[in-house]
Amino acid sequence: MTVLKVEGLHKYFGKLYVLKGIDLEVKKGEVISIIGPSGSGKSTLLRCINLLEEYQRGKIYFKGELITHRNINRIRSSIGMVFQQFNLFPHLSVLNNLILAPMKVKNMQKDEAVEKAKKLLERVGLIEKINEKPGNLSGGQQQRVAIARALMMDPELMLFDEPTSALDPELVKEVLDVIKDLAQSGMTMLIVTHEMRFACDVSDRVVFMDEGRIVEMGPPEKIFSNPENERTREFLGHFLSV
Amino acid sequence: MPEWLSVIVDNLPLLLKGALSTLQLTSLAVLIGLAIGIFVGMGRLSKYRIIRYPSSVYVEFLRGTPLMVQLFLVYFGLPELGLEFDRFTAAVIALGINSGAYVAEIVRAGIQSVPKGQYEAARSLGMSHAQAMIYVILPQAFRHILPALGNEFIALAKDSSLAMVIGTVELMRSAQYIVSRTFMSFPIYGGVALIYFAITFSVSRLVKFVEGRLKV
Repeated sequence: MTVLKVEGLHKYFGKLYVLKGIDLEVKKGEVISIIGPSGSGKSTLLRCINLLEEYQRGKIYFKGELITHRNINRIRSSIGMVFQQFNLFPHLSVLNNLILAPMKVKNMQKDEAVEKAKKLLERVGLIEKINEKPGNLSGGQQQRVAIARALMMDPELMLFDEPTSALDPELVKEVLDVIKDLAQSGMTMLIVTHEMRFACDVSDRVVFMDEGRIVEMGPPEKIFSNPENERTREFLGHFLSV
Repeated sequence: MPEWLSVIVDNLPLLLKGALSTLQLTSLAVLIGLAIGIFVGMGRLSKYRIIRYPSSVYVEFLRGTPLMVQLFLVYFGLPELGLEFDRFTAAVIALGINSGAYVAEIVRAGIQSVPKGQYEAARSLGMSHAQAMIYVILPQAFRHILPALGNEFIALAKDSSLAMVIGTVELMRSAQYIVSRTFMSFPIYGGVALIYFAITFSVSRLVKFVEGRLKV
């Protein structure tokens, strides 16, 4: 089943042409990593999917339904998003960060929401931080809470926008482990990342973007060991030679 | 008892009554100012011109005209249009809508001080614009602007003395009345200054206290 379909997506920031016709289809359970140099439009593509960015041309379908401003709140509640800067709500405890949206958007009862929150915090290994404010957590812990917060809505698709780019190197692994665990559980995911080894390990498909276009797309073995495109080879050369 | 002290003591009930009226006047104006300020402040950030423009006009006009003129307009001007208020109500309205303009600017700055990612995170979870504002943006904005709001409330408490020009009986008006009978300007106005200070200092302590309680 197709969870997400992007068709002919074009996006300008003013005069800057950032997405030059993107086509992408994501099947249920698929894990897709999007790699590419900075400014290639990876994050913008992700943000267009849940309409955090407007786009000028193209269509995006979620489970066959065209995403518009009318249905966006409902669709967003089925698409989890994890940000580079975590974006936890600093005035709320970890628990309240998790239960706010389910209670307000899905009218979930508080008891039920708290039960669910505890389970998810257990899963990301942070149950002992349940009453802390985000400011008292490390970056890695904050990002794991952010992942749990997104999972509270039972999303059918998760978008990760450079989830480890703002982290100290020694905190990257704990976050990647949580994402890996999620991938193995069958979650459909789109991951914008600079962690090439991780992308290689976890993805069913890797998308390489450059200058607003998808240059190459394929299974990780193919992209990382034998890329067809010159630009892909050049980009990955930096990583493969390390 | 020296004469200056006995004048104060004799007139204390009248002064305290005036102080109470000043407190009521200020508190009601603060409430109106806050209510207007939150909506107009958000209005100035609206993506819809039909909301944004009137909000800007409101702020610019009320900041750009003297409070005394506004008091006269409400108390003497509006009756000609069929809207009549007693002196106290007129003062509350004039002070409230005036303060609303200043609070609106504070609220606008407060909302803008919350990182954009907070709004995006809230919306990405499926919250509506209103839910994101109520549960995520405004609580954080409120923490940031508390000191500025404190300043505004202190200014309002002091500005309320201007209500005497339309004859509202408040602290300053009571003092004037006492002085006109006793001709003891220094002790009375000195005492009045101390009472205003007691009020504003309490506000500033209260704001500090709330700030401490809400620390993120």
